[in-house]
Amino acid sequence: MSSALRSLTVSAVVCLLSTISPRHVTAQESTTLGGYGEIHYTNRSGRNTPAEVNLRRFVVYLAHTFDERLTFRSELEVEDAKVEGGSAGGEVALEQAFLDYRFSNTLTLRTGLVLIPVGIINETHEPPSFNGVDRPAFDNDVIPTTWREIGVGIVGALPIAEGLSYRLYVVNGLVASGFSDAEGIREGRQEGRNASFANPSLTGRVEWVRPGLRVGGSFWYGGTTAGDTLLGTGTFKVPVSLISADARYDRGALSLRGVVATIGVSDADSINALYGTAVGNRITGGYVEGAYNVLTFLAPRSKQRLNAFVRHERYDTQADVPAGTTRDRQFARRVTTVGLTYKPLFNVAFKGDYEVRRTAAGGGVGAVETLRFGIGYQF
Amino acid sequence: MTLLFPFLLIWQAVGAPPAKVTASVRRIFGAEATTSPLAAGTDTVLRVARADTLLGFALVRAVKGKDQPITFLVAIDTADRLKDIDILVYREPYGGEVAYEAWRRQFRGKSAQDTLEVGRQIRSISGATISVNAVTLGVRRALQDLTTWHKNGAIK
Repeated sequence: MSSALRSLTVSAVVCLLSTISPRHVTAQESTTLGGYGEIHYTNRSGRNTPAEVNLRRFVVYLAHTFDERLTFRSELEVEDAKVEGGSAGGEVALEQAFLDYRFSNTLTLRTGLVLIPVGIINETHEPPSFNGVDRPAFDNDVIPTTWREIGVGIVGALPIAEGLSYRLYVVNGLVASGFSDAEGIREGRQEGRNASFANPSLTGRVEWVRPGLRVGGSFWYGGTTAGDTLLGTGTFKVPVSLISADARYDRGALSLRGVVATIGVSDADSINALYGTAVGNRITGGYVEGAYNVLTFLAPRSKQRLNAFVRHERYDTQADVPAGTTRDRQFARRVTTVGLTYKPLFNVAFKGDYEVRRTAAGGGVGAVETLRFGIGYQF
Repeated sequence: MTLLFPFLLIWQAVGAPPAKVTASVRRIFGAEATTSPLAAGTDTVLRVARADTLLGFALVRAVKGKDQPITFLVAIDTADRLKDIDILVYREPYGGEVAYEAWRRQFRGKSAQDTLEVGRQIRSISGATISVNAVTLGVRRALQDLTTWHKNGAIK
């Protein structure tokens, strides 16, 4: 042993002397390039609705590690393949761009354009990570994914018990003039573009994780005047408050997930009076999804996955309306989606699904069936 | 002074601070455990003993997560059973749950014959899939290497 130690010591000295600048894994400055994307085929039921194909998302992930403590992360996205002057549609946007300064496991300081930590899809939206060609409708009309705003906050593990972690941000607020009857707070997002900071808002999340299980609770609270004095003055004037809970559970071939959220727009009457909208003062809903990897009995030795899934969503962007606004029952929606997700690799998914959409308005109002196929990747 | 060298080597190779390696070995093998370095392949294996009794071996390595290395330690006993693993340094913003005891303890008692696979012997963590797969693969290889070296006498 001692001779082994001696020879090792000599080689260690040589090694240390020959590399004046240590090549620690920790200290290496590095740039990482990645990406994800999805292409969809969509065929809605009904006359005069020909099928459509769309390069829905093409995202470039660019990250840089400056040192052990400082890192930068970003996602640059092209939606719908192209943007052209004078024609509608398409979008080039930054989905994230932030700096992390890591003090310890329990405390990382984060500043920049951050993802709002609400629900499941908003923070984890790489196409191979979810079932269904499109994101859940709930994650468009209730939780407005991909929701990102500029701000500063802290993230880390909560030392009180293993498995607990938190994120807490102060970001720019929503803008009430963008709210609508059908899509709730969606178009009130500012997404980092000359955003009004008249209403600094609070958002955060606590998560508890066990093998196979992840449970989270999230909130958002903030004013929405964006400096429009006709709506009111004060940082927290015309507030939006959101509370959401979600869970993901995996056991063998089975995976389950669910999200619920409720959003209060307490001065919806003022918003509707000023902007001529019909915003609900309560937006609420959720979904549950179950998936089973059927390859476990078709080809038990295979490492590929073929998820058969069913998802049921119920939500209403006018769950309650202020006095003076007429409640339209077509905004109370029920969406059921069944489909398959084939994953030859963890990072690649081929998807197909059939979606049935109904509303509480009856008489076929808002009744649509949609067949979709899609591919998705990440790396 | 010489006692520090194996730890500096490990620090150089995989970015594990010496204090964390020492603390991890003591946590797994007990406070009286002492280590001495053994060269095996390009790795430095720590031989762990209490007085004259061999307790086992520990190997520190790094695997790539989403874009950052995850530095971990794998410890085996004298019968080549995995005693425990430790995540020594985690550098990503998400997926740090692989350091939780509830996840790590699934590896205890496993041997090189066990096909450690996510979704079979090892349960995944939703939202931390990349880290779970990376660490599981890293642990499987480290366990196989330690077992091979121990069986052929490269470490003893």
